[in-house]
Amino acid sequence: MSKQDITYGTQKRHMGMRAAKTLSNTAVYIILAVISVIWLIPFVFIVLESFRCECHYQVGYIIPQKWGFTNYIELFQKTDFPKWYLNTFIIALFTAVIQTFIVLCMSYTLSRFRFKMRKALMQFMLILGFFPGMLTMIILYRVLKDIGLTQEHAVPGLILVYVASSGMGYYVSKGFFDTIPKSLDEAARIDGATRAQVLFRIILPLAKPIVIYTILTAFMAPWGDFVFAKYISFGASAGMNVAVGLNSFLSLDQIMNKYTLFCAGGVVVAIPVVILFLCLQRYYVEGVTGGAVKG
Amino acid sequence: MASVKLTNVKKIYDNNVVAVHDFNLDIKDKEFVVFVGPSGCGKSTTLRMVAGLEEISDGTVEIDGEVVNDLQPKDRNIAMVFQNYALYPHMTVYDNIAFSLRLKKVPEDVIYAKVTNAAEILGITQYLMRKPRALSGGQRQRVAIGRAMVRDSKVFLMDEPLSNLDAKLRNQMRAEIILLRQKLDTTFIYVTHDQTEAMTLGDRIVIMKDGYIMQVGTPMEVFEKPSNLFVAEFIGAPKMNVLKTNLVKEGDRYFVTPCGAKIEVTGYKEKLLAEKGVQGGEILLGARPEHIVLADGPAENAIPCKLEVNEMMGSELHLHVFSEDGTRWIVRVPTIDLSEEQRQHLTNGADLYITFEGKAMHFFDPETEKNLIYGEE
Amino acid sequence: MSKKKLTPAIIKLVLGCIALAVAVIFAVMLGRFLNGEIPVKSPYRSGSLLFRYVFWLALSGIAALLLLGLGLREMIKSSKFNGMAKANGIELKEEKSHRLQDFFKKIGHGFVNFFKAIGREAKDIVMTFIHGDWKTKISYLVMGFGCFARGQILRGILFLLFEIVFIGYMVIQGGYWLSMLPSLGINEQLTNQYDPVTDSYIKVPGDNSFKILLYGVLTIFFIIAFLYTWRVNIKQNRIAEEILKSGKKLRSGKQDLHSLVDDQFHKTLLALPMTGIVIFTVMPIVFMILVAFTGYDGAHNGMNKLFHWEGLTHFNEILNWSSGTKSYSATFGEILVWTLIWAVFATFSNYFLGILVAMGINKKGIKLKKLWRTVLVMTIAIPQFISLMFVSKMFAKDGLINLFLLNHNIIQLGGELPFWEDPVWARVTVIIINIWIGIPYLMLIATGILMNIPADLYESAKIDGASGWKQFSKITLPYMLFITGPYLLTSFIGNMNNFNVIFLLTGGGPTNAAGSSAAGNAGYTDLLITWLYKITMGEEAKYYMASVIGIMVFVVVGVIALIVYNVLPSVKNEEDFQ
Repeated sequence: MSKQDITYGTQKRHMGMRAAKTLSNTAVYIILAVISVIWLIPFVFIVLESFRCECHYQVGYIIPQKWGFTNYIELFQKTDFPKWYLNTFIIALFTAVIQTFIVLCMSYTLSRFRFKMRKALMQFMLILGFFPGMLTMIILYRVLKDIGLTQEHAVPGLILVYVASSGMGYYVSKGFFDTIPKSLDEAARIDGATRAQVLFRIILPLAKPIVIYTILTAFMAPWGDFVFAKYISFGASAGMNVAVGLNSFLSLDQIMNKYTLFCAGGVVVAIPVVILFLCLQRYYVEGVTGGAVKG
Repeated sequence: MASVKLTNVKKIYDNNVVAVHDFNLDIKDKEFVVFVGPSGCGKSTTLRMVAGLEEISDGTVEIDGEVVNDLQPKDRNIAMVFQNYALYPHMTVYDNIAFSLRLKKVPEDVIYAKVTNAAEILGITQYLMRKPRALSGGQRQRVAIGRAMVRDSKVFLMDEPLSNLDAKLRNQMRAEIILLRQKLDTTFIYVTHDQTEAMTLGDRIVIMKDGYIMQVGTPMEVFEKPSNLFVAEFIGAPKMNVLKTNLVKEGDRYFVTPCGAKIEVTGYKEKLLAEKGVQGGEILLGARPEHIVLADGPAENAIPCKLEVNEMMGSELHLHVFSEDGTRWIVRVPTIDLSEEQRQHLTNGADLYITFEGKAMHFFDPETEKNLIYGEE
Repeated sequence: MSKKKLTPAIIKLVLGCIALAVAVIFAVMLGRFLNGEIPVKSPYRSGSLLFRYVFWLALSGIAALLLLGLGLREMIKSSKFNGMAKANGIELKEEKSHRLQDFFKKIGHGFVNFFKAIGREAKDIVMTFIHGDWKTKISYLVMGFGCFARGQILRGILFLLFEIVFIGYMVIQGGYWLSMLPSLGINEQLTNQYDPVTDSYIKVPGDNSFKILLYGVLTIFFIIAFLYTWRVNIKQNRIAEEILKSGKKLRSGKQDLHSLVDDQFHKTLLALPMTGIVIFTVMPIVFMILVAFTGYDGAHNGMNKLFHWEGLTHFNEILNWSSGTKSYSATFGEILVWTLIWAVFATFSNYFLGILVAMGINKKGIKLKKLWRTVLVMTIAIPQFISLMFVSKMFAKDGLINLFLLNHNIIQLGGELPFWEDPVWARVTVIIINIWIGIPYLMLIATGILMNIPADLYESAKIDGASGWKQFSKITLPYMLFITGPYLLTSFIGNMNNFNVIFLLTGGGPTNAAGSSAAGNAGYTDLLITWLYKITMGEEAKYYMASVIGIMVFVVVGVIALIVYNVLPSVKNEEDFQ
């Protein structure tokens, strides 16, 4: 074989590799494009349907024949939606603050202190988590009803229920605390800090990402909760959150007139949450990934 | 500036692993004591018990005559430097150093004076406004030392402060710690796994293994009079050569018979053996590489060997040689003692004869591994 | 035989008997199943072939899960993998105590240790009394007396206050609740009683079983708390005596308070979260477990009509395989099987597809990485109930898809695609929609982990000539599985209890059109958890049945978790990650 042939051969191989790469990359692009479309389509549909004025029920086409804001106007004027929205917002706000506080207390303690019952406590909470939480709903409902925190007054009741057991969800932030070197605590304690000062002056400033993650998830959860909200508001419109309220639009007797209102409501609920989420996306991703790795 | 006294200190972990057995040590005021030993020997645990970071399972720790077992670290008036520096990442260097003073509510102008003074001593003045992440390893270590310095504490604890640095920087920082010690003039407890650091820094060295103290002594003592085989092998680099052989007593004279050679024990060693009434028999013979010399040729006291590896260290050569029975010896030969011819002769496979000075030998009991001369009963 | 050797022997014997019993029960059940006796009388398809298929699928799914775990463990044990783990700062320790067989030993030891501990405590209480001074002795009756006498006023006040509150409560309230607990109420509420004073018919309230059970449980908790405090009180007396003897000073009240932000800071931090958990989770769960043994339902709600202890009747109802077609037991079997199938599919389909999507996005040479990711991440942000309800309607019989197909004459009226009407269609559809929901999360998680796989692993594999598939199966997948082992377990359990997806998509449907609905109105896509919900919300509101199902869920989840935890190495040692 001459020298030229050899160069030609390697060249050909190079080109083969490049071609294969282009081919596989193209395939990946196509798949990604298809996936993106599939994932976005339902949301595009919701938005389009929310602007459809000619009919309140489902139709067999996507682009509205008559565009307009009537659905939104009706939603805010003729239904309890503003009330539900306010309820949910209040619940989300309180839950975010209190739950974050509780989760941080719990996870910091379990990450940093080595007290006698620590292992037992963690195992106990793990086992406790195997019970379906919904079961406790039956009794909590009756107890809350006795205190008068159900139906129209479901908002404080719901906050209480969401927040009370949130200590059990300490895993993700404990995982984060575990990654902060213990020698920092030790150095600070030798420097003269009490345990409380260690927490407030050293650990918390370093835990900003996980604090934001905890606030974000705690704030978002009440927007999507259905079971507990439905149970505790129990048919009283004034105590519903958006999920339960909008779900009532889809019941058999209402769907004919309110399907497009549901879509409009969905859009109104989604927009602020999505904006908040996209702003804080970085922290969310950190938390989710860390949480999965740490278990 | 205080004495530290540990009496029967024990550490038992929850899983019943005993990390430190019955540790007794009296550290005098302004003394520099080094705990040294392989990893897992309990040296860090002991230090952390002194610091209050680890609970003391049994026994007492006294600082300046006061029992501190139940005191929180912050109430023990100690300063500590950690292996990974443990600088607060969200604070500037200045804030890092000032942190302990601020907790004590010292006025800001005093803090300023102290911090800048410490920074000047350590040569980090230009970095005061930086965050730790923007500093190199050596600079971070200086900040950590500065943080400990400004506290004017009774005892200065250092937990492997140099192990995260590269070799060159480590040598430099070692020298700086010696200087620092002269300036601070306080009690130091220093933990390391590196025997060179221990030898160069310590007034006294505590050599530990598996939670037990093996020997306590000045660098010279532990080097010249190792009380057991572990200390003998741990101190000194390259490691001491050890082989099983016989000690023969002929009248008043003692001989060792490694690999068929017969070498007389001379000088004070002979006297000490006689004083102790050692009768001879099987022993472990130790000879440091630097005490082995090349013999000119076959002789009664020379061991014939084959050279396998010749490591050129610059000022000296490390020769790895094997005697006929397969024992491996390391010999340190100063380069300057060798003529050009001799050096050329030292190629792989070359035949050599080695012998050692009679007074530089160490003798250990093969069972207890204790030094026959210096070992405690 | 000496005494010391006897105890382990007894434990072994007892454990052996338990194991044997479990094995026998299992064998008998398997035998009956093979004979076609067990879920034959299913409310929907009597002993149909399909059902058996499904059953075996579920069984093999579980087996696969087990094998996967075991295989993983072996892989991780091999030295090459060890190096990989170490590169990521994870130390693997060979811990024998985590083997499955040792687990049962541990349970045995746990019991023994528990009784030993009680024995020790009792001994300590007696010894403290004998050796203690008069201050200590009086503290046995008047809690906190020793503290007062020794100058620890703050502690003394707290102890004494607790004792007063406890005795007061027991006298005024606790005694009544406790005494009623065994009967759960004696006097039924009477309606239409003639009241001569007002000359009208009135209600005479009777006992309230619900309250008796609730406050009975509370009282028992309170008594336990009191006993514990009493014990602490005694212990503190002993410790105080010892401290004073050694010539040291006791802590003052101020020091006690200060220690709450320092060495006892964990108690301060845990106080609020633990109170919440005890009141809102532990006590309700204890209460609901007890409900399973009573007759509490919508009709017997304790107020209008009493309910009583009924023992194991309801457990019998749900486990008695031979009872009739619409029985709870038949329905339970079928729903359990579907729940497991669902959990296996939902977990693993998301997992593998999520990894693939993440690998696609992170492939070298792919541009606009951020765009692709953001598109998927955005779907996480939109509250799930919106997308679920919308999609649910989209696939309905008169939903967007069917109408669209009708309009374009692809299908005929009456020939709509039965997404939610046909059992098989519905089950497949929920699984697919769940993939749509779940992939973005998995993509995020997988992206994070993929980036952390040391690049030199791939480089050395390439030099060794490994193909793309080999690299995936030998490096990427084992690594992912190793790192995400615990996550897989949690997400499996989460999927078993995935109420939202099922309930908002199908509402558990389709149910039997003929109206001869299964027990608790269960449908084909109902999971145990949605079934439980339906039962409590249904007309009969059989709370006791819901409670039994809840306990069953606990047992199933517990068994799975137990197995996985004892097999997977990466779950266990939290310190390894630090």
